[in-house]
Amino acid sequence: MSKSIFELVDELPTGGITVMAMKSLDTLIPGQWQNLTGFDNTIRAVTGETDEALIQQIGERAVALYNDKSQGYQRAYWLYDTVQSGSGLLGAAALANRIGQDTFLGFLKNVTPKPEKAQSIDLSVKLVTELVAFCQINGIPGDSIGDFLGALGDYSGESLMRMAALVCFDGLIPLGPEFAEKALGNVQSSNTSDLEGNQTYKSVKDLIPGDSSDDKLGFIAKSFDSTKGWMQNFVSSTGATQSGLMHNLKGFIDFTDDKADYVGALLDMNVKYYRHTGIQTLVRRLIERAVAEI
Amino acid sequence: MIATPRTFLVPALLSLSLVVVGCDKKSPSPYDQVQKATKGQSAVSKEAVNGSQFNRYFPKSANGFSVVAAQEKKGFAEHKVNKGGKNVAMLSISDTISTPASASKYKQSTSKIAGFPAVDQGQNGTGVLVGDRFQVKAQSRDPSFTKQDRVTWIQKFNLNGLSQLK
Repeated sequence: MSKSIFELVDELPTGGITVMAMKSLDTLIPGQWQNLTGFDNTIRAVTGETDEALIQQIGERAVALYNDKSQGYQRAYWLYDTVQSGSGLLGAAALANRIGQDTFLGFLKNVTPKPEKAQSIDLSVKLVTELVAFCQINGIPGDSIGDFLGALGDYSGESLMRMAALVCFDGLIPLGPEFAEKALGNVQSSNTSDLEGNQTYKSVKDLIPGDSSDDKLGFIAKSFDSTKGWMQNFVSSTGATQSGLMHNLKGFIDFTDDKADYVGALLDMNVKYYRHTGIQTLVRRLIERAVAEI
Repeated sequence: MIATPRTFLVPALLSLSLVVVGCDKKSPSPYDQVQKATKGQSAVSKEAVNGSQFNRYFPKSANGFSVVAAQEKKGFAEHKVNKGGKNVAMLSISDTISTPASASKYKQSTSKIAGFPAVDQGQNGTGVLVGDRFQVKAQSRDPSFTKQDRVTWIQKFNLNGLSQLK
């Protein structure tokens, strides 16, 4: 059974590997992301209100808006949740076979990093998922790349953290400094069977604009091409580097320096940043609307 | 070799992530009742005006404040007011045809803004009801944006235009 919006927000973790991995990005976007959890707590933080009766009233309208499927908020949650599970599926299956047989470093020897093409498709499909979810939440037609690009410049808080994690964990770490060019090249040279064989794509393909896989591949490539500049600018303006990111991650994951691609695979399996920050974005928009409508 | 807490922690977390957590008893939430009442229900009236029709009545960017479209749904449109890259306020128009209680609170109104009944809500919100139907609100998101600023910004909407909208 699907969960209510207040359950999703109340159950967001305050610690663990997802939260720690995102906190390691704080140096790139200082102070942008506080891990806001708890439904009432989020209402207080977003609106600045303290009156309990008013908070309850805002919360009730937000619950009702989420429950109305036609409003798009449930679909956005589904996208954020599904794209994350799809991408980690392969790794989780590999990991399940190793648990109990190896030490952690032994496990790392046995996990196979994704091939570059698969990683490139993952990155670009996740980016398109952000675009589609953004349109669902904000009520903009689903193929509106221009509106999304305009809004990216205004991204802050948990939305900016999600994009930072996308660039760093799915781009820079597994693919290196030229990740954007590399991924675009890989996506442009992909055919529909590459796309259809990709678990991340399969998980969300129904909501990607386009009538056929060929159309959808075209949309993915076009969206990635349009957003590439933003991603490259994010890297140069924040000074993010593969070695710097790895250094920060070492605070809580043990690995040797030559294991960048393995760390990418490990993050892919265990760090649920899309789902986590997706819920945070979604509830913020719901609360903003609810407080305006009551 | 004795495992350090850190080397032990990672495999432990990894294994945990694979375990399907069983049923846990949920404590009651103050939202259980509304969840039950609204599940699968429509929250927006079919008669509501599309949010895209509201955009033209919003104030424009001026004097260092930029007004940026944020949400546009059936019966609702919201724009952010940013200053120096920081969000300082939210401006919205909503169709109270979906939320009649939102309109009825203006019956108790004792003040007016630009001739329309006005109310303050909580510490950060001020609204007016236009044409007995459309709620126009300004909400502070930063202490620099005062109650007086909210009144000033509500006056910047094309309220008379909006009152003609059907």
